[in-house]
Amino acid sequence: MSALLELDRVSKSFSRGGLFSTRRVEAVKEVSFALAADKPEIFTVIGESGSGKSTLARMILGIHAPSSGLIRLGGRDVAAYERRAFMAEVQPIFQNPFEAFNPLKQLDRYLFMTAERFGGAAGKSAVEEPVDEALRQVGLSLPEIAGRFPHELSGGQLQRVAIARALVAKPRLIVADEPVSMVDASLRMSIVNLFGRLRDELGLSIVYITHDLATAYYISDRLIIMQKGVVVEQGPARAVLSAPTHPYSRQLRDAVLTPDSAGAFRATHPRKAVETSGDRS
Amino acid sequence: MSGGDDAGPVLEVRDLQAHFRSHYFGVNREVRAVDGVTFAVNRNEIYGLAGESSSGKTTLVKTIAGLLKPPLEMVGGSARFSFLPGWDAIGRAPPDVVRAIRWRHLSYIMQGSMNVLNPLRRVRHSFRDFAWRHLGGSKAEFDARAEAHLERVKLDPSVLAAYPHELSGGMRQRVTIALATICKPDFIIADEPTTALDVVVQKDVLAMIRAIQCEMGSSVLFITHDMGVHAALTDRLGIMYAGRLVEDGETPEIFSRPLHPYTRHLIASLPRIGDTQQREGLEGTPPNLAAPPPGCRFHPRCPLAMPICATTVPAMIETLPGHRVACHAVNEGAAA
Repeated sequence: MSALLELDRVSKSFSRGGLFSTRRVEAVKEVSFALAADKPEIFTVIGESGSGKSTLARMILGIHAPSSGLIRLGGRDVAAYERRAFMAEVQPIFQNPFEAFNPLKQLDRYLFMTAERFGGAAGKSAVEEPVDEALRQVGLSLPEIAGRFPHELSGGQLQRVAIARALVAKPRLIVADEPVSMVDASLRMSIVNLFGRLRDELGLSIVYITHDLATAYYISDRLIIMQKGVVVEQGPARAVLSAPTHPYSRQLRDAVLTPDSAGAFRATHPRKAVETSGDRS
Repeated sequence: MSGGDDAGPVLEVRDLQAHFRSHYFGVNREVRAVDGVTFAVNRNEIYGLAGESSSGKTTLVKTIAGLLKPPLEMVGGSARFSFLPGWDAIGRAPPDVVRAIRWRHLSYIMQGSMNVLNPLRRVRHSFRDFAWRHLGGSKAEFDARAEAHLERVKLDPSVLAAYPHELSGGMRQRVTIALATICKPDFIIADEPTTALDVVVQKDVLAMIRAIQCEMGSSVLFITHDMGVHAALTDRLGIMYAGRLVEDGETPEIFSRPLHPYTRHLIASLPRIGDTQQREGLEGTPPNLAAPPPGCRFHPRCPLAMPICATTVPAMIETLPGHRVACHAVNEGAAA
């Protein structure tokens, strides 16, 4: 088996409603893809709310079991893993770093706990080294973080700490569910670039879940686009986003507003022409 | 200010200051969330406010709208509306004056439509609660008017009979737009109205806000952190950083010729489909507003920082016609 992660016709349905009016909602329908073990990549899952992308992430993380289909990590069924052994291979990063950390707990304690649990390290000096190393990989250091509480850091720094915590376990795969949507615009690209560095320098594979097509285009190698639990389009990220073929992917791409879409909604406006062009010194 | 096409601005904000003040256990804390903001919104335009989280955008509009609750206090300056002559700010006018103005002249579109609509009341009742007293007429007349207005935002009149949870997010946001516009107000404040929506729905909702604004000729103060939305929708744009306005001007001008280093970075860092150029994040972190850096609040992160930036607050200067910027480096270069 040369696949790091393999999804084989994975589906998940939830039942909704009461005792007499149960309805099945299919959140994810027959999704299949594989990440190669020898070729680290950023694999993006694009979808809007209700597309099933977070459910997919939770299944990859082993939080939900699929209703049907198989998820294999390194050739073994995810359900067959002992939990701690599994978490040593796959680590999550969540959307809102302010919710991911307990506000009353010092940040370094999370890092030390992860080091003790997965690194087999014991004792203060033994855990400090791997923690410091992980923090340096994300552009921080232990002296900066030691004793700090979550409210003392910005969203971008906190998300870096969350990434460092995931790195302490030395995983092979990171599942990041909307990791930059709560991070301020001026810090967002540094987190996105960090993912690229983790892939290139540490050889980590990352499942990047997002609704943002622009960062997906910027950073990812391959992607799938999901609509209502179904994969409607997949392939190399830049090829797919440059020329989407499925009507839904096209609709998504056309709805993206960038600085270049200036005046998209200005056409009918009766306002007097404004003197913005012409002579300037 | 240039760009006004008749009878002066609808909203004129001068050196507005709003602070959060708390006194606990003998410790006085003051967070200067809005610190000396000056701008104007003309008739029949959409003025955008951009900035990161905790840059003071929402505090600014709350102060402008007079929604002041402790610990938030308006400390100084003024925010005058043309339809409220004689008062410095809505927050300083007596309650009965404010009640007559709200919704008739000034309305809001909020981010969470679920927080605007009462979940236990049908949409019809929400319309009556908000607008009946301003429009008057019999119940039947009012309902007919609400139905006609809903058609304008492309909603079926049957949604009047629905409860909010029965509608999708996009439909609910259209209902709140209909609610905010039914009285044809002079001024609409829209605070991140599309942030919770999917991109496809967002596009429809933005087009609708523009269409209705054009039709009624009202002014909109539009707040979002999404620069793409600003580029597509707004006529003029103000950029906020750490409680201060650092740049404002015509939107196309800001995007094609950003002057402030922060604005430049903000625009340059946006990734675009079809462009593989490397984009960098900004070093450093947004300042803590309880203890902001002295001088220009951007100077610790600024690539153009000079000694004067750490000591003196840069004034907002009209560097190009209709384009103001608060930056020592830019304005000195322009003067030289």
